[in-house]
Amino acid sequence: MDLFSLTIILFLIMDPIGNISSFLKLLHELPQRQRNKIILREMTIALIAMIIFNFIGEAIFNVLKISEITLRLTSGVILFLVGIKILFPAIDSPRANLSLEEGEPFVTPLAIPLVAGPSLLGIIMLFSHLETNYFIVPAAIVIAWTLSLMILLSGKHLQRILTDNGLKAAERLMGMVLILIAIQTTFDGLHHFILSCR
Amino acid sequence: MFRESVISLLIALFFLFFGEMFLNALHISRYSLVLTGGIVLFLLALKMIFHSSGPAEADQTKQEPFIVPIATPMISGAGLMTVIMVNAAAEHNNIKIFFAILIAWIGVTGVLVTSPYIQKLIGRNGMAALEQIMGMILGLISMNMIVDALRLFVQTQ
Repeated sequence: MDLFSLTIILFLIMDPIGNISSFLKLLHELPQRQRNKIILREMTIALIAMIIFNFIGEAIFNVLKISEITLRLTSGVILFLVGIKILFPAIDSPRANLSLEEGEPFVTPLAIPLVAGPSLLGIIMLFSHLETNYFIVPAAIVIAWTLSLMILLSGKHLQRILTDNGLKAAERLMGMVLILIAIQTTFDGLHHFILSCR
Repeated sequence: MFRESVISLLIALFFLFFGEMFLNALHISRYSLVLTGGIVLFLLALKMIFHSSGPAEADQTKQEPFIVPIATPMISGAGLMTVIMVNAAAEHNNIKIFFAILIAWIGVTGVLVTSPYIQKLIGRNGMAALEQIMGMILGLISMNMIVDALRLFVQTQ
């Protein structure tokens, strides 16, 4: 996979457009200045988590001797489930059960799991092992993260322009793209599997 | 109603012209496109056949609908986009597909605009029955898409 597809995949799983509403719901009482500061802080925490898991992935899968076929199939299935979840939202998702606690949120639920959820961290681990080039996954992470940060920082304006329904539509479209990529990844894995059987 | 269907037409045309560029950029082959369409349509068909007042309807907001849920995903849904993209990749004549979209869109808009009269004609139960039959047909079409996709995949091996 090249840098472009990796960036798109990571960006879609971070799902910044879908996260706008949860961010605004949690932070709506705070003034603009402080809200931006918190978004920046939470996103930085998420970035650190992603980079750490990138290096953990490389180490762990080398020890476990997991084949490329398994990695591709696993990431395809995970991406597929994430996409299905975006298309057909569930009631018990962490986003639906935001608890409006007093005070400002720290790490949970904004940084983890809303931005850097288990599926994103898992996919990063898989990709970091799959790619032979050491710099491509971190580069994709940083680019996707920057894009998400910009979207989240301008969340209030985006919400005003697109309205809640527009945001929902954009999120659905992204889920669709994610499923597309997931199926391609799964079938790449199957393709390699069939080749290895011959 | 009319505004919503115009928006859905715009979405469909956008996918007709930029869909292929997009697919090439992400290295997505035709079988996975068809398979995605098949799976999503199949899930939709299941929803239509086993119709229950689940959470999907509960969270629909009371305000006037805009783009969601009427323009997309109800009219220009994921399945339609996939079908358009697949056909745009298969046919070289974009004008033909453009007119096909236009004709289908006129039909859909006609039905939607006259829907109050149709509902009076066949009654509420008739509508429910019709939706389930449509779901059945949609299920068949989607399964056919899945099978086609698998055949394409096997042929590329």
